[in-house]
Amino acid sequence: MKILVFVKQVLDSEAKINIQDDKKSLDFEERFSLNFFDEFAIEEAIRVKEKVKNCEVVAVSLGSRKAQEVLRTSIAMGVDRAVLIETEKYNIWDPYFTAKVLSGFAEKEGFNLIFCGERAMDDENGVVGVLIAENLKIPYVGSVVKIEVMDTNKVVVDSEIDGSFFGYEVELPALFSLRKGINEPRVPAITGVMKAMRAQIAFVDPYSLLSIPLTQKTEIVRFEFPGKRPAVKIIEGQSPEEKVKKLISLLKQEAKVI
Amino acid sequence: MDFKLTEEQEFFRKTIRDTVNKMIIPKAKDIDEKDEFPWDLWREFSKLGYLGLRYPEEIGGMNADKVMCMIFYEEITRGSVGFAQSVIMNILMGTYFIYRFGNDAIKERCLYPAMRGEKIATICFTEDQSGSDLGSTRTRAVKDGDGWRINGTKMWITNGPICDFCTVLATVDPSLGLKGLNFFLVEKGTPGFSSGQIIRKLGCRGTVTGELIFDNVWVPDENFLGEELGKGVQYVGEILDEVRLMTGAMALGLARAAYEEGLEFARKRIAFGQPIGNFQLIREKFAEMDTLMNAAKLMVYYGAWLLENRMDARTIAAEAKMFATEVCLKVVDEVTRIYGANAFAYEYNPQRYFRDARFLLYGGGTHEVLKDFIGRSIIGKL
Repeated sequence: MKILVFVKQVLDSEAKINIQDDKKSLDFEERFSLNFFDEFAIEEAIRVKEKVKNCEVVAVSLGSRKAQEVLRTSIAMGVDRAVLIETEKYNIWDPYFTAKVLSGFAEKEGFNLIFCGERAMDDENGVVGVLIAENLKIPYVGSVVKIEVMDTNKVVVDSEIDGSFFGYEVELPALFSLRKGINEPRVPAITGVMKAMRAQIAFVDPYSLLSIPLTQKTEIVRFEFPGKRPAVKIIEGQSPEEKVKKLISLLKQEAKVI
Repeated sequence: MDFKLTEEQEFFRKTIRDTVNKMIIPKAKDIDEKDEFPWDLWREFSKLGYLGLRYPEEIGGMNADKVMCMIFYEEITRGSVGFAQSVIMNILMGTYFIYRFGNDAIKERCLYPAMRGEKIATICFTEDQSGSDLGSTRTRAVKDGDGWRINGTKMWITNGPICDFCTVLATVDPSLGLKGLNFFLVEKGTPGFSSGQIIRKLGCRGTVTGELIFDNVWVPDENFLGEELGKGVQYVGEILDEVRLMTGAMALGLARAAYEEGLEFARKRIAFGQPIGNFQLIREKFAEMDTLMNAAKLMVYYGAWLLENRMDARTIAAEAKMFATEVCLKVVDEVTRIYGANAFAYEYNPQRYFRDARFLLYGGGTHEVLKDFIGRSIIGKL
């Protein structure tokens, strides 16, 4: 069995970000991390590998040379090898384009299962996974919180949406996007860290994975910071009943949400 | 000149940083408040294999270079000084002489389990009348049949009351001064070996520090750790520079923990309608702290680079230990000022950093002793 895990390097949530004067580009502090949700995907792939005989896990990232870091982290956690689809000389942000490139890689590499995080912490798009599944014409289940591999042809998964759980039996090959809570990602042991430090990461050009010429479908028009949150309003009152009445009144008249 | 960390070293820093963030920082406040050895954390952390950091891969270590060792010492101390002290004792001083001179059976019994965290190691230098002045060591080892009989009491022993084995500095002849000093291995359970008073400390809480008593303790010849008698001080010299640089790296880690917390506070704390980071006197503090921390970092890592390249690092190691620790004291102090009265509350971390920093003054040599050593090494014998 071969499992591909698509991982992304994102700006660290504590990195300082400024919007440049043209409003179309960002100036940011060079602090990066592995996308939070992708850690669950890596961990789950390793857990499957630990249970299934002859299973190989390959971590794949589309990004700059710096993204090797997240691939090394994947190796430190336990994936067998890693591939960087290197975008150093290109400026790729478009999810459609990204999905096409990653689909091209999956086709070329071959796979039984693909795992990815449910969304990236930077653009919050959450569409690359489902687009890849569509490109590859394979089943897709999102927001997965439990996976049980029955055999090399079938898995049973639970998906959680708005607090409700949906169970699916899915024929392989298939792609799943994973949600927080599916597992507790491991902290790499030193043997993994050493392996990762020495690992040779394969580089692939993104355009070599496209079967037809393609351009990006989206354009960045402008960046804006979210508006400042208004000050917190403390509702005063002599009794809980009085406070609740005031709250309901504010929700109706001021916030206009009920 | 190349000041850049290699890709491997960068990756190592990021990995250990993430590990400390996940595993140690969430428990640091609790460790300090309870002031008990955090056994659960110890077991969880030692499973990762870092306790073999500086030993060869053939025996289960990582064979980390000296720069990586400094990265490790800095990062783990950023998490918790108390926990870092216990971990570093197992990694470096507590096991070095066992690794260097222990026979196979001793290594099987002590070194390898210590590298896995199954046994706790320590080293015993200090006594009530001797610390920096090793020549005044009174713990005595006397030849007795096929072994040595040891008598004496050691003080301020990190991990002492919970150790499974210790490397003891003892004199075979007090009249020889430094030339009479040698190292011996004493294992838990040896008749006459016991722990005494546990020292309640201002900072570095969570690591257990105390007295070890050697009352007519007999150990076999194989427990003599050395090639020949009288070379104990020379052997200390093999790791002294690393120990001093390690203390400097610990100071860097603690300073950074305080600095980062102070920075976050300065950005968020509102006074007079704006974040206090907008005020020039607060900015001045960060300018000064950042400058000093960068200078200290360059010294510590330069020293590590010298060691790694087998060059003389004696003076720079002493200077780096002294400077980085003084910088740390300055930074933790400034952060308490930035925090204002909140720094005085146990609820917030700056008071812990302030207390912990004091201990770094003494480990690796007091600054009074180090200044004398540095001055002598510069001026030479007149």
